[in-house]
Formats: sequence, structure tokens, C-alpha cells
Amino acid sequence: MSSGSSGGRRTAGVLGVGATGARAARQLASADTVDAVVLGGQGDRPVALQRSLGSAARIGEPIGPATGVVVLAGPAGTHVEAARRAVDLGIHVVSTSDAVGDVEGLLDLDARATANGACVVVGAGFSPGLSCVLARHLADWVDRVDEIHLSRFGTGGPACARQHHRALAARAIDWRDGDWVRRRGGSGRELSVFPDPVGSLDCYRAALPDALLLHPAFPDASRITARQAANRRQRMLAFLPMLRRPHPEGRIGAIRVEVRGERGGEMVCEVAGAIDRPAVAAGAVAGLAARWALAGRFEPGAAGLAGRVEPVPFLTELSEFGVRAAVFVGVT
Amino acid sequence: MTLLRRAIAALGVAAMIAAGLRIRGTGGTPPQTGGWRELRGPDLR
Repeated sequence: MSSGSSGGRRTAGVLGVGATGARAARQLASADTVDAVVLGGQGDRPVALQRSLGSAARIGEPIGPATGVVVLAGPAGTHVEAARRAVDLGIHVVSTSDAVGDVEGLLDLDARATANGACVVVGAGFSPGLSCVLARHLADWVDRVDEIHLSRFGTGGPACARQHHRALAARAIDWRDGDWVRRRGGSGRELSVFPDPVGSLDCYRAALPDALLLHPAFPDASRITARQAANRRQRMLAFLPMLRRPHPEGRIGAIRVEVRGERGGEMVCEVAGAIDRPAVAAGAVAGLAARWALAGRFEPGAAGLAGRVEPVPFLTELSEFGVRAAVFVGVT
Repeated sequence: MTLLRRAIAALGVAAMIAAGLRIRGTGGTPPQTGGWRELRGPDLR
């Protein structure tokens, strides 16, 4: 996969330097293929991050035509307009949003991005993001993909935690037998086994965009679902505003991807997963996706990572940043 | 009237039991065999 060159531009922008954006910026600032990182965001966080990154980072500059790629890591609801402006300038976009509205809006930019020679990488975080890459990787192990089921646990920074809270109270969207099915968030309890030490957790339907991103990459799959882990308190209080202040950096999180299909005439089920602090992993995925976009490794247009990446080199490069995936083996 | 009261009481008890099961139940049984292994090798298998 290639094309979508950045025309030799080696400046990256990062809009939103919270827990995820700061890590993406840090990764981009350390990359040989990036000359400078332009930081944008609210409050004094961009200033503090710029001090930490030194001369590789700049603040107070607009994202303009000299920028090759921009990572959108701000709160949900802010991504589509920013992406539209960037795409109109021919700038590649990497969005970390996991809000259904953002993902739908970003995917709608496909024709516009293609016309401008820009690529929009949608859902480049922990989940969606790494989960999409793992789904692609597992899909390559089977002859035919029938079903894909994702689950996730944990949140990144405060914006991610608020989105996670809202998702549990909103309607879930799944792909089922050739049609989109919307169901109540918080329903559909299912036990998911995440990599140790997270272990087994009950997961529920929620307003997650994974099916929207995976269906274009796996149009023949009959079922694509996504669930998120929640405890009793989170389920009972999902319809209220968050009562607790979210953790500023997020704690441990996990993802699990299950691909069911056929291999050699037999039905098989492959399961992969990962554990990490979601903001750390999301920042690494977004940073790496931005570097790939700058290098022209993505086709123009808007799509998720499952339809864009070669999973083995992507996961290999990601492991150099400490984000490693695992596979579940030995089920009898 | 007594029948109506008993029916309402029965429905209330049933709703409380259903709510308890819904909140306290589990979504399945974890696998008794198998485990996680890091993806490795040139093909990351």
C-alpha cells in the first residue's frame, strides 16, 4: 500500500495534547522522518510539552500547507471540522477519536480526501486502532472471515474516560447479517478474557465505532460487534454525568479481538489481545500512523487502520515502542 | 382488590429478583484451559 505522499513535508501537527496527544507528539518529535512538531491545544499543556520536547516542538503556529500530517487528539466532537480543514489543504490526518459521530463524519470525508490526495486515518488509538490492526492480522490467518468481536477495558485521559462513560449509556451499533443493528448500551453481557493480569471481565454493548471501521475492511463478515468492560457502578450510573473526576493519565487497559472464520475447510476461532495504559498505546499507534502517512504508506481517502496497514510491519514497529500484542492459545 | 394487590406484589418481587440477577449475574465462564502468549517470530504468530 502506498501513494498519498506528503510531498516532502516533514512537519507534523498535534491538536490536543492531553494524555494521548502528548505521547503521539513525543514519538513524532523523536522520529528521524519528522523535522518539527507543531502543538495546539488549550490551557498551558502545549507550553509545558513544548518545554519538555525542546527545539523539536513549536507552539502558536497554525496548521498550514507546510504541515505534512496532523494528529487529532482533542476531545470527541472536535475532529471532523479540524480534519475537513486539513484535508482541504492536502494535509494527511490521523484521528484518535473513538466517538461514533466523529468516526462517521471522518469516513464521510473519503471523497474529499481522495480528491485532495490526503489520507484520513480514522480511529488510530488503542481501540479502535490497535484493535483494528489485530483484527487484520488475525484475518490473514484464516481463509474466510465470518465474524469479528472486539472488547476493551480501561480508558486513557479524562476526555477518553468521559467518552467511555457516555458510550455505555448510548446506543450500540453492530453489523449483523448484512445490516446495521442498533441496540441499547449496557445490554448484551458477555465475559471477555483479556491478557493477564487483567483477566476475565464482563463486557457490554456501548456506542463504539469499531464495527463502522471494520465493516469496509471485511465486507463479507456477517457479524462485527464491539463491547466494553464495565462494573456494576458504571452500568447503574451510566445515564448520569460522571460523578468522579477521571484519572488524569488513565490506568491499565486491555483489548481483545476475536476472529471466527474458516481455514482449510474447518471453522476456527483466533483470539489476540494487548494490555497497556490506553493513552500510552493510543499515542504510540497515532504517532506511528502519522509517520506512515508522512512516508506515503497510506492510500488517499478516509478509512480505519484495518483496511490500510500491513499488520506485521506495523505491529513490529509498534513493539519497538513497548506496545506488544499476544495471542490466546491452547483452548481444547 | 385482594387479588390485584397480590398480583402487584408478585410482579414487584419478580422485578426485584430479575434486577438482582441482571446486576449480579456473570456473562459466562472463563476458559479452563489455554493462556496468552506474546506474538513472536517474523510472522508475529
